[in-house]
Amino acid sequence: MPMPGVHPRTAYLFIAPFFTVFAVFTLWPMLFNLWLAFRDYFPQTGNSMWNGFAHFVELADSERFGHALKNSLIFLLLVLPLQVGAFGLALLVHVRMPGIGFFRALYYLPVVIAVSIAAVVWQQVLRFDGLFNWFLESVHLIGFGEQPDWLGDRQLALYAVMAFSFWKNVGYYMVLYLAGLQTVPREPLEAAQIDGADAWQRLRHVVLPALQPVILLCTLLATIQALKAFQEVIVLTAGQADTQTALVYVFGVAFYGHNFGLAAAAGLIVTLVCLALAALQLRFFGEQGLLRRGG
Amino acid sequence: MNRELVLAPPLAPPRWYRLRRQLRDAVLALPRYAALLLFGAFTVFPFWWATAAALSSDGAGIWIFPAAFLPNDPGLRWFGRVFYEMPFWRYFGNSLLISTATTLLVLLLTIPCAYALSRMAFRGRNALFVLLLVTLMVPAEVAIVPNFITCAQLGLLDSYVAVVLPNVAGAFGVFLMRQAFQDTPAEVLDAARVDGAGEFGVMCRVAVPMARPMIATLAVFTFVAAWNDYLWPAVVLKERLKMPLAVGIFNDLTGPFAVSTNLVMAAIVLSVIPVVGAFALTQRFFLSGGGLVRR
Repeated sequence: MPMPGVHPRTAYLFIAPFFTVFAVFTLWPMLFNLWLAFRDYFPQTGNSMWNGFAHFVELADSERFGHALKNSLIFLLLVLPLQVGAFGLALLVHVRMPGIGFFRALYYLPVVIAVSIAAVVWQQVLRFDGLFNWFLESVHLIGFGEQPDWLGDRQLALYAVMAFSFWKNVGYYMVLYLAGLQTVPREPLEAAQIDGADAWQRLRHVVLPALQPVILLCTLLATIQALKAFQEVIVLTAGQADTQTALVYVFGVAFYGHNFGLAAAAGLIVTLVCLALAALQLRFFGEQGLLRRGG
Repeated sequence: MNRELVLAPPLAPPRWYRLRRQLRDAVLALPRYAALLLFGAFTVFPFWWATAAALSSDGAGIWIFPAAFLPNDPGLRWFGRVFYEMPFWRYFGNSLLISTATTLLVLLLTIPCAYALSRMAFRGRNALFVLLLVTLMVPAEVAIVPNFITCAQLGLLDSYVAVVLPNVAGAFGVFLMRQAFQDTPAEVLDAARVDGAGEFGVMCRVAVPMARPMIATLAVFTFVAAWNDYLWPAVVLKERLKMPLAVGIFNDLTGPFAVSTNLVMAAIVLSVIPVVGAFALTQRFFLSGGGLVRR
């Protein structure tokens, strides 16, 4: 489309600064990872050489990587409670009531606090003799002397990290769902009400189909966030007590093992899993998916 | 309610009727308030407890369940110790510098790019768009290893440039701003072009002022994300005095300095105050849900 006074070259000038930085620090890492995954890299000299699929063979044999991948997949279980919780919260605050703005802000608060800072508090809360165990004891859910060590027990630590992640992120998705709820048109809702649809039917057949793009966005973001679970683990348990996730493994291999090629290969696998899950979700929650079919 | 259809003005309901309705609404809202408070307690208890512990001059008993939520012998001595034990203001200044520089650069790079992508026609526009979309699906943490190598090769390690630069060209901001520019009426832009304004002038004097709410949203999001970023600064910065709050405090708090939990909590409360303040001042931009997700 021709526009008055716009030279085509102008557009390239407008996008050039952004895409220069983008190419170096976002695009290049992706390509570099792809290249590095098939090579041995020596950080001291910067030399590297092709080693075929050796890294992938090593990863397939590696018990630690298999374990880390399994933990990442367990972390994926968080997506469902996170979405349901966030959507429930959004419904809860999607009203006009005195003080509702205060509660919205309150629920969003954990999102704006640094993960490292929040984790230090949670470490204290979840300690063996911490606040949470005292709470459980005072309501007689556990007896004296049987307090679990939430962040040190191999059976529990990963789920404790997931609970922390829920606390930290549920407000973020609440805001996205709230924004979505505010765009649901009123007319079909009122029509359904007049036709005698109860609250659940209105939710299922009017609100959810209208929210399809938001649900897609939120589940996509939450899936990627769960798969890349990393900072939460580093700051809460540092990967101890069987909480190593796939990216914790990548990070450890790179910065402690100095094996950048192996780290790149593991990172590539995580990336591919992310893209595969994204494609799967586009199928289920996309334009033609489950939510749009009246069901 | 469709007022136009009412032919005669309705009689005002009697006062007792209005009072009864208000009473009924208040009673019906009670379960909702109860739910709001319950979840509010879940989001806020860690920080409530941290504040109480920070204010307790007497360090004993800060883990005992109900008692720990009120300060034990209130006083400010732990806050004084924080400034004595760690370079708090230095960390604070570093955080301010890093977050401000990141925010300004993001706006400087993202606005023209998003403007060109939504308002100009040029070859390769759709391809660039798909490229941006793909990078949104891939976990950014995978880029840490290659970016670390890039920064090492450019000799940028342990510098603020290395902290800021990889975070200033993200796809998220482009999507956000593109949405805002697409909502700008084309006639207004064309009018300015016909009046002889260059494309840069049209953007600065017409499009940007009209997109001000979204620019504010992007600025706040970027600032908070940069303020809270833990991982990347922790990877590239080695010198303690260059570290931002999220890294410096975390290292100090989990290192040998962590002698007293009260002291740790006082430092945490001090570091959270600016974030909460900034959030309280700006939350209406993103919690009203107006600009965040629009279809």
